[in-house]
Amino acid sequence: MSKQALRVFSLLFFLTLLPGFYSVCHSADPIVLGVPTSLGFLEGKEGLACVNLAVDEINAAGGVNVGGTMRPFKVVAIDARGAEPGVPVAEVIKAHKKLILEDGAKFIVFGSFRSEAAIACMDLVSQYKIPMLLGTAMSPEMQKKVTQDYDKYKYTFRVCLNAVYLIKYLGGTMGYLNKKFGFNKVFIMDQDVAWARKTGDLMISMVFEKMGWQVVGRQTYPTGASDFSSGLMKAKAGGAQVILPIFDMPQSGILVKQWNAMKVPALVAGFISPLAGPAAWKTFDEKIEGAINAIFEIGNVPVKKVPKSVEFFEKYEKRYGKPIEAGHSPAPAYEMVYLLKDAIEKARSVDGDAVVTELEKTDRLGAMGRIKFGKDHQVIYGEDPAENAMGCMIQWRQGKRVVVYPESVAEGEIALPEGLKAVK
Amino acid sequence: MLLGTLIYGFVNSCLLALLAMGFNLTFGISGVANFSYGAIYIFSGFAAWIFLNSAGLPYALCVIMAIGLSATLGVLIYHVVIKRVKGLALSEVMATFGLGLAIMELFRYFDFVGFKYTLPNLIEGSVAIGDVYIDYQRIAVILAAIALTGFIYVFTHYTRTGLAFRAIAQDERTALTFGMDSDHIAALSMGFGSALAAAAAVVVLPLGTIAVEGGYDVLLNALAVCIVGGLGSTVGILVASVLIGYAQTITANYLEPHWMMLVSLIAIAIVLCIKPSGIFGHQKELEERI
Repeated sequence: MSKQALRVFSLLFFLTLLPGFYSVCHSADPIVLGVPTSLGFLEGKEGLACVNLAVDEINAAGGVNVGGTMRPFKVVAIDARGAEPGVPVAEVIKAHKKLILEDGAKFIVFGSFRSEAAIACMDLVSQYKIPMLLGTAMSPEMQKKVTQDYDKYKYTFRVCLNAVYLIKYLGGTMGYLNKKFGFNKVFIMDQDVAWARKTGDLMISMVFEKMGWQVVGRQTYPTGASDFSSGLMKAKAGGAQVILPIFDMPQSGILVKQWNAMKVPALVAGFISPLAGPAAWKTFDEKIEGAINAIFEIGNVPVKKVPKSVEFFEKYEKRYGKPIEAGHSPAPAYEMVYLLKDAIEKARSVDGDAVVTELEKTDRLGAMGRIKFGKDHQVIYGEDPAENAMGCMIQWRQGKRVVVYPESVAEGEIALPEGLKAVK
Repeated sequence: MLLGTLIYGFVNSCLLALLAMGFNLTFGISGVANFSYGAIYIFSGFAAWIFLNSAGLPYALCVIMAIGLSATLGVLIYHVVIKRVKGLALSEVMATFGLGLAIMELFRYFDFVGFKYTLPNLIEGSVAIGDVYIDYQRIAVILAAIALTGFIYVFTHYTRTGLAFRAIAQDERTALTFGMDSDHIAALSMGFGSALAAAAAVVVLPLGTIAVEGGYDVLLNALAVCIVGGLGSTVGILVASVLIGYAQTITANYLEPHWMMLVSLIAIAIVLCIKPSGIFGHQKELEERI
């Protein structure tokens, strides 16, 4: 090859690479969102899917306008496995640290699965001034910390339902059961994790004691347990009219199957994670007729009276080819990305303190209803979707989920399954 | 409550016996403590689920195929892994435990997580005994435990292969002089043990969900029963299953389900302190006496 030809070839090669160099030099840096959840649990898996859904929508529309520069979101997820039995909190903290220090996460989205770890991680995000939005952890301890030491813990927000609001929905349902059927004896079966224990405690002190119900017993199961016969026998022996389950582990769906097989004459009304989605009917061999289950945030189930919840539910199904199965987390996971986008754009920066200030001013109508944060950084839940975010209660009837509570969004009334009778 | 404890305690005892049978058979014959046993159990459950839900095969065929596949996996594990470290107890334990972890984590990696992984009941419905209802699937567990115990007894006492199993277990060198191939028999015992794990899986798993971490519980329960009863002793397995089964049920019914797993661990600790060979074990009886 002559020198002349070599020069021409080199010039052409350089010109070919030039646009690449240009785009690399001038493309805006992505804003990294760290997602350290438990992908082995349905809520974690679908939560991440919803974060990706929102991120793809935002990026397709040009990204986030940060002080005049359009920057895309980039999701970096870690399966921190914090929800699994035996995984120590330290492992989850390590996952958060990796996201912040190695992957350059500017925000922690969805956060740790369990409250035990989420509360421990509040110190870490505070140290690095990284705003963290929680999507599964439910213990009210988080709000307590924000309120008690605002300057230190102001970086943590919760978009999903918390245990106190869950109590309100469950308490309302118990009041309904008492008024309509005369039920006043309950047996509590819960999982040995912070949010479930706390929910059980609060149900006793805030609902059953005040309403004059008799708690005939309580049985707490370790995560991973799949034989609930002892609790069901105790419920039957104690003459319980209602069984209140509080579980988020995959094995807990079997409880209702066992309840059906053991013919325990009590209505199951509470929260069992695997009972929330449309696949539960087939998975549990159509043995869940009559069971009442909490849906922590609407949007995870389409509620006709809240069109945005239907729109979100359908959007998810169209994107992933299957419906949302989790009753907790998907809708908040989707919404929190938009909350963050709005806050960054208003702050015109990704600076933690500036974004926190804007997040506090959030007011958005979304799949869960109207989203606003309280002073304790918890999204406010209520019974009117035009005013607050919402959860609801559904009842399984002939393979369908019927929204039965609160009245503002109800599509039917609670009906007793075959074999159960009202006591008034 | 008492009747319920008696009935469900018996079901739990049969369930433990089912879980431990395969582990015990393999150890009794090949002398290999197969720590991948829990993983094989989970593998069988997922295999049956895939045949049923992805291939759409009839359930009975799925069960047979899952058992066959698990037996093949057991034989393969022997030839590929165990044979190379046979006789080195620590290496055997580490190799099989590591392999079990790899199998279970592979399922997790390929997203076999969630509540949808359930197997259908063999028989639907339930029956009342006094005022206690028990579902037919739990009765199937009892029947399966009785049937498999009978099958193992007949197989090891009245068939050529079964007699060869016992011969190798009693005295490998003498058996070799009679022309028995100890490697071949040990591989077969791994296959049989794995098939028994699969049989237990298709009977027990419809009572719950197929969860990767369930493999650890199965291994722990099988170990507890075998250590308490005496590794290699079928009678010991049955007695230990009843002891631990009832202890667990009483614990769950009268204390808290939390403590159920502790029952197995405490039982292991007590037996190892008092009689390390187990109630009916003869492994190191002489050393223990001395």
